[in-house]
Amino acid sequence: MSSAAAAVTSEGKVEVPAHLRETPLIEGPQSDRTLTDSILHPVWRDPGRGWWMMLAITSTLLGILLLCITYLLLTGVGVWGNNSPVYWAFDIINFVWWVGIGHAGTLISAILLLFQQGWRTSINRFAEAMTLFAVICAAMFPALHTGRPWFAAYWLVPIPNTMQMWPNFKSPLVWDVFAISTYFTVSFLFWYVGLIPDLATLRDASVSRTRRLVYGIFSLGWRGSARHWNNWKWAYLLLAGLSTPLVLSVHTIVSFDFATSIIPGWHTTIFPPYFVAGAVFSGFAMVLSLLIPARKFMGLHHVVTMRHIENMCKVILATGWMVTFGYACEMFADWYSGSVFEIGQLITRFKGPYAPLFWLLLFCNCVVPQVFWSKTMRTNLVVIWIVALLVNVGMWLERFVIVVISLHQDFIPASWGMYRPTLVDIGMFAGTMGLFGTAFLLFLKFVPAVALAEIKELRYETELELAHAHDGAHSTAESH
Amino acid sequence: MSSLDRKPPHTSRARYWRSVEDFKSLDAPRENASHGYPELVGREFPVGATEMDGATRRDFLKLVGLTAAGTMASGCMRNPPERILPYTRQPADIRPGQPLHYATSAALDGFGIGLLVTSREGRPIKIEGNPDHASSLGASGTFEQGLAYGVYDPQRGKSVKRAGQAAGWKSFLSEVKERLPVWQKDGGEKVRFLDGPTASPFDGWLRKQIALALPKARFHTYAAVSRDAIYAGSELAFGEALEPRFDFDKARVVLALDDNFLEDGPDRLAVARAFAAHRVPAPEVEGGPAHPTEGQAEHGHEEKGASESAWMNRLYVAECGFSVTGAQADHRLRVRGSEIIAVAAAVYAAVSPEGAGDVAALAGTWSGHKWVKAVAKDLAARGPQAVVTAGVRHPAEVHALVAAINVALKSQVVTYQKPVLLDVKSGPSSLAELGAAAIKGEIDTLVITAWNPVYTAPVDLHFGEALRKIPNVVYLGQFEDETAPYAHWYLPAAHELESWGDSANPDGVVAIQQPLIAPLFNGVQRGELFGAFADKVDRGAYQLLKEAHAASLGDAAPAGGFEAWWERTVQKGVLVTAAPVAVAPTLQSAKLLERLRPLKPAAVAGIELNLIVDNKVYDGRYGDNAWLQELPEPLTKVVWGNTAILSPKTAERLGVEAEAIVSLEVGGQTIEAPIFVLPGHADDAISLAVGYGRSGAEAIARGVGANAYPLRSTTNPWFGATVKLALTGKKDRLGITQEHWAMEGRPIALTHDVTAPKEVQKRQLRLIEEQAPEHTITMHGEQPSLEFTTQSAEGYRWAMAIDMSKCTGCNACILACESENNILIVGKDQVRRGREMHWLRIDRYFEGDLADPQVVSQPMACVQCEKAPCEYVCPVNATVHSDEGLNDMVYNRCVGTRYCANNCPYKVRRFNYLNWHNNLQGTLEMKMNPDVTVRARGVIEKCTYCVQRIEQARIATRIENHGKGRMLNDGEVVTACQQSCASGAITFGSLHDPKSEVSKKHKDERAYQVLWELNTRPRTRHLAKVRNLNPELA
Repeated sequence: MSSAAAAVTSEGKVEVPAHLRETPLIEGPQSDRTLTDSILHPVWRDPGRGWWMMLAITSTLLGILLLCITYLLLTGVGVWGNNSPVYWAFDIINFVWWVGIGHAGTLISAILLLFQQGWRTSINRFAEAMTLFAVICAAMFPALHTGRPWFAAYWLVPIPNTMQMWPNFKSPLVWDVFAISTYFTVSFLFWYVGLIPDLATLRDASVSRTRRLVYGIFSLGWRGSARHWNNWKWAYLLLAGLSTPLVLSVHTIVSFDFATSIIPGWHTTIFPPYFVAGAVFSGFAMVLSLLIPARKFMGLHHVVTMRHIENMCKVILATGWMVTFGYACEMFADWYSGSVFEIGQLITRFKGPYAPLFWLLLFCNCVVPQVFWSKTMRTNLVVIWIVALLVNVGMWLERFVIVVISLHQDFIPASWGMYRPTLVDIGMFAGTMGLFGTAFLLFLKFVPAVALAEIKELRYETELELAHAHDGAHSTAESH
Repeated sequence: MSSLDRKPPHTSRARYWRSVEDFKSLDAPRENASHGYPELVGREFPVGATEMDGATRRDFLKLVGLTAAGTMASGCMRNPPERILPYTRQPADIRPGQPLHYATSAALDGFGIGLLVTSREGRPIKIEGNPDHASSLGASGTFEQGLAYGVYDPQRGKSVKRAGQAAGWKSFLSEVKERLPVWQKDGGEKVRFLDGPTASPFDGWLRKQIALALPKARFHTYAAVSRDAIYAGSELAFGEALEPRFDFDKARVVLALDDNFLEDGPDRLAVARAFAAHRVPAPEVEGGPAHPTEGQAEHGHEEKGASESAWMNRLYVAECGFSVTGAQADHRLRVRGSEIIAVAAAVYAAVSPEGAGDVAALAGTWSGHKWVKAVAKDLAARGPQAVVTAGVRHPAEVHALVAAINVALKSQVVTYQKPVLLDVKSGPSSLAELGAAAIKGEIDTLVITAWNPVYTAPVDLHFGEALRKIPNVVYLGQFEDETAPYAHWYLPAAHELESWGDSANPDGVVAIQQPLIAPLFNGVQRGELFGAFADKVDRGAYQLLKEAHAASLGDAAPAGGFEAWWERTVQKGVLVTAAPVAVAPTLQSAKLLERLRPLKPAAVAGIELNLIVDNKVYDGRYGDNAWLQELPEPLTKVVWGNTAILSPKTAERLGVEAEAIVSLEVGGQTIEAPIFVLPGHADDAISLAVGYGRSGAEAIARGVGANAYPLRSTTNPWFGATVKLALTGKKDRLGITQEHWAMEGRPIALTHDVTAPKEVQKRQLRLIEEQAPEHTITMHGEQPSLEFTTQSAEGYRWAMAIDMSKCTGCNACILACESENNILIVGKDQVRRGREMHWLRIDRYFEGDLADPQVVSQPMACVQCEKAPCEYVCPVNATVHSDEGLNDMVYNRCVGTRYCANNCPYKVRRFNYLNWHNNLQGTLEMKMNPDVTVRARGVIEKCTYCVQRIEQARIATRIENHGKGRMLNDGEVVTACQQSCASGAITFGSLHDPKSEVSKKHKDERAYQVLWELNTRPRTRHLAKVRNLNPELA
């Protein structure tokens, strides 16, 4: 984007009016010193009352989660509202929702890195951490939702055994195990590898011995030599390359859980791309809903600028249209199939007992993001935050529509039924928010929320670029 | 369901003592000491099972061993040896682990049904019909199947109680012995017995013995569902009380006047079988013409020879509520209970013009009714092959009219016999007489063996108050129910499977009742109790029964002597008696018409109350049977409770909605019940099943549903009363297993209406194609598949066919499946949450008009898809295909992702959301079939085609042929559902044999695969339901 803007300038040699000029990715005059100080400041300083209050809330929710899990394991899946015919409900909705949220991190980190989108730098750490925690929240459900998790924990994994029993490789649930575990591993490595230079900075800047020791262990002996930087760059790039297909594969495989089945509303070929688009959509919405408050409270305005936020709004608008297209395709396919069951499913969504949720989903995911056509809206933080939250709600409802509405009325009318969540269902969903929030607050406290080394590199590159522009030289993206 | 959630009672293991003091202290808490050493030392009756209260299986096995040992070394025992004998068809080489089958029988309201009970290591676990018994023919209904639960019911009365305090049976006996001389002074004038209806020869003999001891003692008979009206009706019509017998094998046109004959009545199972045989438009005879020529069809009654059975009957039903029989009707008339008599009169007027004038007033406007006219015309056209029946709830006049109609039709379907019941009067009048005598102080001792008369007695008899006037009331009941508190002596009754006795069916076929297990809870057998009053205290029921039969044989000594004859009889279960003598009564038309002439149709203002006999708990006696409670009512699909059933129009008019609790007031008595809106119910009437709202000590039954008995009076025992209805503002979330009743235009349960016999004969070759052109295998053949199907070396391809024309939706198959496959009950709350565990469900769909719909019942269990959608989605290979075509469920491997259940288009998989077997208290664990795994929490389960039965049969052939085995013949493997089905709607077998029954059924024009287009290739095919409509009404 920056190169496109520059090209216009260079070709037309037109002076870009101030209001059309892109906001910079780093605001104000910054030096390595100021960046280090400002970004590491939240780590050193006392987190303040706000942080503690937030942690109190999230850890309470986490406690609820642990209580619910204990109750669930002792009693059985019956503590949820799942029944026949709705054998999957909140468990799988939450799983897919959290996995979807986990998408933005890898997308921002890996794909935008490969496409050399400079604006990713300020937000990638943030997004990666979010991915990690979201995947943890997500991965909990497939294990816990089974009737006998103590067996599911290892029978789904191809471990050689004396019974010579292997998982059924035809089952998408086995693919899920591979997809999610791979995704988690790679995301974690990617996040951690990116964090190493910053951990070293933290180690070097630590005043207490304990901190120096802890950060020293986690920075794996980083000394910042040219050889380190070279290896690190390669590792980071390779991991980015490795993560890129994962962005597509994880949600594609999650969508197979539904698409390979024969249930109307699930058996849909458009699911893989539409799930991926939906994941990016919800992932970006989640990044925004977390970033906007974090940016304010942590004073990161100079590195997370309006340009970042605006770009993310544009991604939401684009992916919003992709999911809208997905919905349209799905409905068309239902109608065009002529199958009484597919059409029945469509009508159930429109008019059935859960129809209000379906219409709310369309409102949240298709109508609400349209406000981002307007630049005024795209730069109004309150509007953006509300839209982001609504998109998160919409994406959760989308999974509710897919999972519950499709199941509650399938082929044989006699077996139709209704699903009502129990307190444990709601408690576990709220509890995962607590797990996510707690992990996130700890992340904000103990590691730099913005990739310091990368932002310094970006500052250097931007300044170089600016210098070239001032010199009247051709400003291109080659400057790297 | 609070009672199910309760922790099992303290299961006491053996308690040890370390010192004499310790030993003595063990003795102190007597109620808990039943497992302790002192009790064993000091107990009175070695053969009785004092220690079975809350016993564990181990305790039980010990006891079985002890009993056996005790019986062998019988010198010091109270009873002489009692031998129960296995059914003769069982192979001779019986070994442990092999099930044994015993023939026995059980009576309901006096009439017996022969049973075969499967016993495993001394535990009866499964009830089946005795094929040799004319009232069963191998089938069994829900009540019979439920006995296997009832015998282990831990809620049963456990000790003899005197004035509420535990006392011994021995002290009761000594009291009787003490009093006998006192009673004998006046010949036992002040001793009365209140028994249920009985036709048992043993009971007859016992009564004679009692009469010898106490010649003036009297027997009264009472049952909530009495057959008084039938006998009174025949007295009106013929001058004597006669038992009408229906041979539905001959009935081409049937009109049932509020008569649920497929489900009620003494030989409901045999009737259902005969009726179903002519419910399909195909010849049922082996080797008969597959497509009879049209000529045979035109005038059915002129047909001759082999094609005689190639016709389909036509059923008309006029009723208020919606019964199973009504659901099978080709044409159904919704009419309030009080108007049935007018309909009967109108039909009589139409078929018997000479009497028309006399009943004109009674028939009223019904004479001109289109439905009545068309039905009467159809009946008259079929003449001898037509028949009219009426339900027991209707008064004598209706039965007399029905008899007159049948005489006018010269119906060959109905014949008359002398009633076999010892006492034909068992209605409220008998109870009223008893009550009056009690109030007058004429009764000193009353022995109640009838079921719970305080609960079931019409409210205006104030029977409980009358009982208070009797100084000595003895009550023999299986539970400490509502009557028990009125008794001075409560005796826990031995269960049917714990007692010696016999029973008779209406044809007088006598079946021996042999116990399958020693009484688990100190139960007292009827024979023992009556024996005590006959001054035969020292002889057990077994000896008395043998004496009774020896006496009935008289001098006609059977070949091989009495003992050999006795063993043969007990083995076979059925006593061959002489064929019943049909009576040919003459109709006393003049007398009857004189009686009918002044009658006018009752005008019931407002909403009429229609009390019905419950499909699950009967008159309430099976209320504590959780198996039966959890069965869905066939039409409403409501479990655990009764509902006030209304038609949609009436509900709309009254402004009430389903599940709203209303108060119902009749004659100052008010009860509260939840509303159920049922299409097809008569307008301006409320149907409410009796038998619920129990308040006795039975924890399962207590508080379930609403007690309708307070609304019942002697004047209006079943219907005819105006009920005042008021909303209470409360709501009851009902447990309903099928919430959606419409088929939504989907080709799921296919039906076909034909209007002429000719059409029926041709069987509508394009039957299915017409209805669902794009959903049929017949049109398109099988869809291609990339998968290969493996075949076993033996080549079996197990398959099932379910004929929806025959299925009445009676639930017997569900209970048979539950009993065979250890399916656990979950309780009302879990059913509300949609978690019932029945492997086999019966989907009931309404078609057509909302007010007056047609019904189709579709049994649905795992259809064992050849290309099963459940299999490929299971991540751990827990559901896999066998090479014989079974979709096997490997419980041990299942981790419970439930993906298979999601992907099952038939939704027949069930998931153990919780550890349901935590609910099993004490003895209930004993009813489990050891051949079938009891599933733990967190695993999926489903129909297996009774794979354990297939394997049993296969193993049996290997044993038979010394390890080599042979191919199983068609019919050698019978699934539990198939075995119980009285209608013969279910066929099971292997498709590898083109001549097998199931192969033939699969090729039938009516056969189709449900959800064909999914290419699941189900091995269970359904056969479309055909209705034989009257063109005038179609």
